Amino acid sequence: MDINLNQEELSFQADVKEFLSENAHQPGTDYNEWRLNWFKVAASKGGWDVPKWPEAFGGPGWSPTQHYIWEQETSRAQTPWDLPFGLSMLAPVLMNYGSKEQQDRFLPDIRNRVVNWCQGYSEPNAGSDLANLKTKATLSEDGTHYLVNGTKVWTTLAHIADWMFCLTRTNETGKKQEGITFLLIPMKQDGIEVKPIITLGGSHSVNMVHITDVKVPVENRIGEENKGWGYAKGLLAHERTGLAGISRSIVALESLKKQAGSVKRGNGNLMDEPTFKLKVAELEADLMAVEYTELRSLANAASGNEPGPESSILKLKGTEIQQRLQRLTMEAGGIYSSAWGMSNVGPSFARSGMSGYLSSRAFTIYGGASEVQKDVVAKNVLGLKK
Amino acid sequence: MNFELSETQSILKDSVERFIAESYSLDKRQSLVKSELGFSQDNWKKMAELGWLSITVPESAGGFGGNQIDSMIMMEEFGKGLVLEPFFISTVVAGQILCELGNEEQKQDWLTGLITGDCQLTFAYAEEQARFDLEDVLTRAKPDEKGGFIIDGTKSMVLYAASADAMIVSCRTSGGQYEKKGITLFLVPKDLKGVHIDSFETVDGQRAAEVRFENVRVDGNALLGEEGVAFSTIKRAQQIGILALCAEATGIMECLYKDTASYTQDREQFDRPMSEFQVIQHRLVDMFMEYEQCKSMLLRATLEFVHNPDGSSRSIHALKYLVGKTAKFIGENAIQLHGGMGMTEELNIAHYFKRLLTIDILFGNSDYHLEKFAA
Repeated sequence: MDINLNQEELSFQADVKEFLSENAHQPGTDYNEWRLNWFKVAASKGGWDVPKWPEAFGGPGWSPTQHYIWEQETSRAQTPWDLPFGLSMLAPVLMNYGSKEQQDRFLPDIRNRVVNWCQGYSEPNAGSDLANLKTKATLSEDGTHYLVNGTKVWTTLAHIADWMFCLTRTNETGKKQEGITFLLIPMKQDGIEVKPIITLGGSHSVNMVHITDVKVPVENRIGEENKGWGYAKGLLAHERTGLAGISRSIVALESLKKQAGSVKRGNGNLMDEPTFKLKVAELEADLMAVEYTELRSLANAASGNEPGPESSILKLKGTEIQQRLQRLTMEAGGIYSSAWGMSNVGPSFARSGMSGYLSSRAFTIYGGASEVQKDVVAKNVLGLKK
Repeated sequence: MNFELSETQSILKDSVERFIAESYSLDKRQSLVKSELGFSQDNWKKMAELGWLSITVPESAGGFGGNQIDSMIMMEEFGKGLVLEPFFISTVVAGQILCELGNEEQKQDWLTGLITGDCQLTFAYAEEQARFDLEDVLTRAKPDEKGGFIIDGTKSMVLYAASADAMIVSCRTSGGQYEKKGITLFLVPKDLKGVHIDSFETVDGQRAAEVRFENVRVDGNALLGEEGVAFSTIKRAQQIGILALCAEATGIMECLYKDTASYTQDREQFDRPMSEFQVIQHRLVDMFMEYEQCKSMLLRATLEFVHNPDGSSRSIHALKYLVGKTAKFIGENAIQLHGGMGMTEELNIAHYFKRLLTIDILFGNSDYHLEKFAA
């Protein structure tokens, strides 16, 4: 057992630090220009623009430790905004199950960040029970296209998406999981109607998407008909490990301490108040432990083993910690935490306190609600039977 | 011992319930939230006609002489309807201060209007550096040669300041920043020169403002009670305010646990109603238990205050702590069990939760009162 980075890893870390500081955004310069250029420079480093992609598809082929270093360093630095849908969710499916032609058609645009994707999974009656989805895809008699009808919901950023990867029902008999087909659907066409859903933080990021008589060519089907569930399941596991956000929480905890430290209380500040201080301390202790849970999981993967039982708790613990951070930030904001949309009332961190906390409630709902995650752990890890 | 409502109290509860059912659908409420005023003048008139604005005013001043049990009954129902009209800050809090400290002339000028609904007041007590401490007051009032005062300072989160006709403002007239002695209350008409009101919508759809007083001159008759000794009145206003807010929160939490229980019975996942899963059942039982604990604490603190105001402060601290803590527990679980639907503005759930969170930060949050309770 050894937690120190070896010489090679240390020099990689130095390299990453240098890259991030040299390419940081300069205030006053055009953000979008910088963003696209950042990815180009990262690509020239040998796939740093697509760290998680396998070498065969242009990724850097890092060890798990290198990924960990990248996560740690990027969570502290300013990196351009990026969306996971094409890059980390659809791309692995294309690589594993897509045809060569589909890979050539879609992967370059995903890598160059020129096409936005959204995920058409959940439906009004298919949330935690995703396999219950009903959006119907019927193959035409000549076998050239599917006719798709149905409604998707909670579709993040559907309103700016060019394409949707979508789970559809192609067989209504037998096991629910065995009649699902994975289709790629262009969003900008008649028959696709995107309706915003305003969530309780007051913002618009999710949507309801109505799909009416949309023709999807069979070339847009991934793999075989009725096998889509298997492709999507791998993707869900991928989505879940990405949601723990532990390095980001470590950085967020540092800012929480600074923010609470700036709230004056008599001669001291909020971090001197016993109740608040202890809550921050409790959170920090949990975060220190879960950071090592993640390391154990990485080390396990590094030695080429199947993910160990510890990895199954990462999304559960990680999201719980993110929520507690948001809650403490709201509490630190005190009376100003409900003053959203104001520009000059109280400390600036405080005003978004309540809306940040409210938005964070979704963390334990999306990507598999915590109750469902625990069912999975009970069954697959502890071997408990219902 | 008896926890039943009296006949008059039952009638009051029924009449508020009827008002909510008739005038407070979520759609109607949300369109009021979006209006410039943020509430309905018609509703306010109706509340006056129904006599609700005078219930806690003493009979000697033309009211019904009711007590905190009556306001508890009303506030619980207002909570269920997510009522926007400034009953809490104008009638319950400012009305109480005016009844306690106002001289005949001030009562004549303002209390009558409060009862008829023709005027509204608010209470400006919070300051940024004070967080939740009522005695930490930097806004200063200095006497001038003509028997008046000059007020300078900034008050935060002044509820419904833009629609109020006047504000009761806590000012330091002597003593150091943290001293309880030396605090004085003034009744400041809103349209005086130097009063700057920066109004905004809070997360719960209500209105608040940052109010800056810049060399504001008030007459001697703006002084409420005697100079330098207002702290005990402020403290009592806080206690009465907490009882009212916690009653509102308790009404909201009742709706949250009941609505969630009913949603899980309707919503099917994995080919059966969600309510058939044991993990869901136990969660609902926890929500129900914690709600009942709040209800008990609300009754305890309210009854103790009514019988012995000076001996009830520990119970009031315990109540505000428990309600703040439980509000988060019940609200978080209501959203979790509603899944994505709980995250939208379409159901009451989100709006209830936002109001609960705002209640927690008024007159001291959960941590603040736990520390006071433990002290």
